[in-house]
Amino acid sequence: MRRTKPLAALAVASLMALAACGSGDGPSDTETGDFRETDAGADKDPDAEGPAPELEGAEAGGTITVFLPGDYGPDDLDPTNGWSVTGNSIQQALTSRSLTQYRVDEDGNATLVPDLAVDLGTPNEDYTQWTFQLRDNATWEDGSPITAEEVAFGIARSMDSTAFPGGPGTEYSTQFFAGADEFEGPYTDKDTDWTEWEGVEFDNDANTVTINMSKPFPDMDYWGAFMAMGPAPLGKTSQPPAYGQNIMSNGPYKVESFTPQDELVLVKNDQWDPESDPARHQYADKFVFKFNADPDQTDQIMLSDNTESQTALSTDLSAASYQDALDTLGDRLVQQSTQCTSFIYPVYGKTDLAFRKALAYAYPYEDAWQAGGQVPGVTRVPANSIMPPGMAGKPDYFVDGEQFTFDIEKAKELLAESETPPTIDMIYYEPDPLAVAANEVVVKAYEEAGFTVKSTPVQESPYSTYLNPDDKLNKSLNVRAVAWCSDWPSGSTFIPALFRGGATYNVGEFAEDAIDERIAGVAELPIEEQAAEWGAIDEQIQTEFFPAVPTAYYNQLFAFGSKIGNPSGDEALGAPNYKNLFVMP
Amino acid sequence: MSAETAGPETLGHLSEEPKGEDPGSSKARTITGKSPMRIALGRLLRDKIALVCLAVVLFFVFIAIFAGPLQKLFGVTTETAFPTQFLNLDGTPRAEFGPPYGGFTWDHPFGVAPRTATDNLAFWLQGAQNSLQIATTATIVAMLVGVTLGLLGGFLGGIVDRIIGFVTDFFLTLPFILAALTIAPIINERFRDSPNYPTIQVIALIGVLAGFGWMSVARLIRGEVLSLREREFVQAARVMGMPTRRLLLKELLPNLVAPIVVASSLMLPAFVAAEAGLAFLGIGVTTRPSWGQTLNQGIGFFDNYPLYLYQPLIAIVAIVLALNLLGDALRDALDPKTRR
Repeated sequence: MRRTKPLAALAVASLMALAACGSGDGPSDTETGDFRETDAGADKDPDAEGPAPELEGAEAGGTITVFLPGDYGPDDLDPTNGWSVTGNSIQQALTSRSLTQYRVDEDGNATLVPDLAVDLGTPNEDYTQWTFQLRDNATWEDGSPITAEEVAFGIARSMDSTAFPGGPGTEYSTQFFAGADEFEGPYTDKDTDWTEWEGVEFDNDANTVTINMSKPFPDMDYWGAFMAMGPAPLGKTSQPPAYGQNIMSNGPYKVESFTPQDELVLVKNDQWDPESDPARHQYADKFVFKFNADPDQTDQIMLSDNTESQTALSTDLSAASYQDALDTLGDRLVQQSTQCTSFIYPVYGKTDLAFRKALAYAYPYEDAWQAGGQVPGVTRVPANSIMPPGMAGKPDYFVDGEQFTFDIEKAKELLAESETPPTIDMIYYEPDPLAVAANEVVVKAYEEAGFTVKSTPVQESPYSTYLNPDDKLNKSLNVRAVAWCSDWPSGSTFIPALFRGGATYNVGEFAEDAIDERIAGVAELPIEEQAAEWGAIDEQIQTEFFPAVPTAYYNQLFAFGSKIGNPSGDEALGAPNYKNLFVMP
Repeated sequence: MSAETAGPETLGHLSEEPKGEDPGSSKARTITGKSPMRIALGRLLRDKIALVCLAVVLFFVFIAIFAGPLQKLFGVTTETAFPTQFLNLDGTPRAEFGPPYGGFTWDHPFGVAPRTATDNLAFWLQGAQNSLQIATTATIVAMLVGVTLGLLGGFLGGIVDRIIGFVTDFFLTLPFILAALTIAPIINERFRDSPNYPTIQVIALIGVLAGFGWMSVARLIRGEVLSLREREFVQAARVMGMPTRRLLLKELLPNLVAPIVVASSLMLPAFVAAEAGLAFLGIGVTTRPSWGQTLNQGIGFFDNYPLYLYQPLIAIVAIVLALNLLGDALRDALDPKTRR
């Protein structure tokens, strides 16, 4: 799942130059906080049953306001199109159910539990067919029951890469589900009726859905926790793009109003049955999400503890307020670990190994974080591998024997060995002053290391340049950057998306047949060996080819008002744990 | 009730009668010998507020012209710094580098910026230079366009006047902020590859400011010309067969100096404020130091580091206020009929 916040994009742009730390000259007072790791919900409990356990002291009623500073939120609410941390964390917790889900305890530990299914699915021997038995008491917001056919239709929708180009189905459904060659999705494919597609079968009487795979897919239970693997009303009702502005809800809350990039108001859905749901609660009367809130204003509101802020929370506290928040908010300042890594990704075919290593030493890790508004050592720490901390199988190795640090002398030595011309062509996101500041620091560091740098400003997210193969500017770049977060706690959501030849977010155009084959081979291995194999692939990619410089692992800072009950985060999504929030009297 | 026997009205004139002056006396000669400009200057010099404002403006002009040498004098630069050497974890400067936690230090007389750790004095000086440079150039451009169109429209009349009037009205209907918001990203996108990108950004900004500033001048000048062209000296010059160009430049323009000076002196502060406002919105010049940018960055640190916000704020308020008051004083001095 890529980070879609413009702020993150900016961090990404600046990441081109950042690496991490410890360059020695920046003694930051680390006693104030440190980085945290997460396993992002690697635990499973197939027997969890509704209703979800009551929380201690929880009471019904009240309105919870959520400020999302610098975060534009989703453009539409269509479950099939959702592939951003913000949109999925809100909708999966409150409005849109799927096959499975995460239950998050008070410490933020996530466990995979059933949602619309009564268990976590039953795979066949080689994981090429998964059967989900659905529960009978789940309903839509109008009271009608959710049928197996509607769930199957929702799954068929995720095959439509044309109607939902930014949806997660483009990476998982079309890669793993059977018959992806013949079926382009219910809206694009006019020749095939979706019920004739071999990928999904349903039985309304037995209330089961069966998914057929083209290759083994042991992570189907995790993929089932995406709202894209949930039901969609049949026929015209769910026609995109209109459905995205006016969705049918089936969670504990339904949409009262939605203004993209501005506000989302959710109210209680009285048709939702707590008995049918092992993880969600329905405490607050109303949720109000304020997208793109002013960061400084939000910090002031949260620190003031007035009546407005007591029942509010902020999803991103800025570094400028960090010290104040530590003093005044105490444990209402939640430092949420996320499974994200950012990379500088030089174009593989245009650079040699010495050049890429020189880049790793020339990047001013901590300085770029600080100029970009991050708190070094808290919201960003140095990265040594592709896979982020907490992910099963994360290897512990250092490409050069020790952590890359900002070291101009080493960069110069390596650059002298390199046969690549010492020029860097990159871009940065100009509308954000933080991105501009980080870019300046990075350019200065590169130039001191002996690179000739051309950093071109862009007005939209750098991703829109990177992902456009016809863009003249994009073709001229030899250093790009990407920040990536896991979709579920497995290397399979990380390494193929970035390092498989031809993958969408493989912005460094890395392609080695040996690696592609090894990635394809993971699915054939016994499940318990897969995590270690991803770790080994990670190490092989970096130590043999070093295509990308990992610059940082991410943490987020959430601030909760003093009357919000159960202030905690959701490690599976790296967002506040909306499922368990309530207003204290 | 008895009235006062000796009220003022019964005593005849108390005020001094003007004595009949001998036209040949030395006093009369000095009065008649003053040119209108000297009279205006005399009025201006007696205006204490105007003099204080003039001093403030000259101070900033001095800073703007000598921004480079002044930075060398103080030993500061606008160069990018590596922030971790200077800052605390939350982005505020450490005590040894000056405010907010430390005292004054000659290394950084104004302190260093939070988050980026660049030197505040250098940015402040360079900001003054950029601000005044952009505002002055924009004023000159707007004046040239406005005066030319106003002269032509007013003097030629007829179809020319109608066309110029239409263009003026058209530009007046365009919303300034909206247009600036739209144009800036288009220009930035178009010229982002150019090695002269920073210069192009400045030129574009001057174009936007001047493009939305010339209309009031054009209207003002047209009105003045309309009244002037029916005067005897213009009619006489026409009858003598003076060519239009000479008429405009030699007869009309000198009579328009007062309104032009007044209009420019009031336009300048408007442009200084507009430049800072656009930079604050992030659509002005992004590649050079600007007071507006500093303002924008300072807001988040106001609680812990208010000085960082006050530096550009005080500068903008001081120069805009001084220029405005000076402009008013100039108008009063040049045009006694509008004196308060």
